[in-house]
Amino acid sequence: MAKSLLIVSRQSPWSGPGAREALDIVLAGGAFDLPIGLLFLDDGVLQLAAGQNAKALQQKDLSANLQALPMFGVEELFYCAESANARGLGQLSLDEAQPLSAEHITALIDRYDQVITL
Amino acid sequence: MSTLHVLSHSPFGDDRLNSCLRLLGSADALLLSGDAVYALQPDSAPFFALHDKKIRLFVLLEDIQARAIEVPEWAEAIDYPAFVELSIHHDKVNSWL
Amino acid sequence: MKFAIALFSAAHAPSSRRALLFARAALADGHEIVRLFFYQDGVYNASDALVTPQDELDLPKQWRTFIDEQKLDGVVCIAAALRRGALNTEEAKRYQRDAVSISAPWELSGLGQLHDAVQDADRLICFGGA
Repeated sequence: MAKSLLIVSRQSPWSGPGAREALDIVLAGGAFDLPIGLLFLDDGVLQLAAGQNAKALQQKDLSANLQALPMFGVEELFYCAESANARGLGQLSLDEAQPLSAEHITALIDRYDQVITL
Repeated sequence: MSTLHVLSHSPFGDDRLNSCLRLLGSADALLLSGDAVYALQPDSAPFFALHDKKIRLFVLLEDIQARAIEVPEWAEAIDYPAFVELSIHHDKVNSWL
Repeated sequence: MKFAIALFSAAHAPSSRRALLFARAALADGHEIVRLFFYQDGVYNASDALVTPQDELDLPKQWRTFIDEQKLDGVVCIAAALRRGALNTEEAKRYQRDAVSISAPWELSGLGQLHDAVQDADRLICFGGA
């Protein structure tokens, strides 16, 4: 049975390549049909803020890639509820992402065979 | 199941330590390396937070020596062979990059 | 125990040196390293172009020696490398660039190699950040 891998994405969308390069690991894993999960934590939840405009910074819009995750077989999508609340995030742009409490995140990390927090 | 969490950023002006402590499981351990060892600066908020949390706390010996910080008796200073052992003892390693 | 070691920080970052020391300790303890995977700024550890003063720690050189002597699989993520201007001869030719900074024993390959290593290993250890 394949080992499962949880990617914890903690970078905001426009602070450098972090958000994009975390997502690339997820997409590559999905393309290989591996059991991959993605958790948005701390500033990582800002990637899910609605109404962002990548063009204003001449950057690539990651939201299309995020929306495509289920198509790549990545359906285990989560975000830290506390991180989102602390940042005043109301409506999120990714319907499939489930909010988790700290306790549930601890259990989530436990559940996966390996984890990369970047 | 248990996880070895590894931190390497200074806890001052960085939220990794706080987030890590929020998510630490009861069987988990924490290794402070690099600037994260500054969390053991006596009389600092991170110092008190770590003391109160009562976790399995490890600190990389070379980093605490370089910074001339004392290792409190509730933490254990380890070398690289022990770091390898620790990574095997726990089911996985979560480095907060 | 089989280890996969992934490095995300540049050679000047303390975490890069820690990765090397951990890798050495793992082998010294009789364990196996299935792959070293360099991602994000970690690609710079594989660069031939870094010049280190004689009295300082030359980490890229130490990585190269380590990989050569221990016959390890050292993989650099191609997408991360290209983005950071770390090219081998093949990629420099493909993109018509004069600068070649990645050479054997380093291999440029995709994230599939990271996933492959994660599947093969008992433990994945990541180093990076600071």
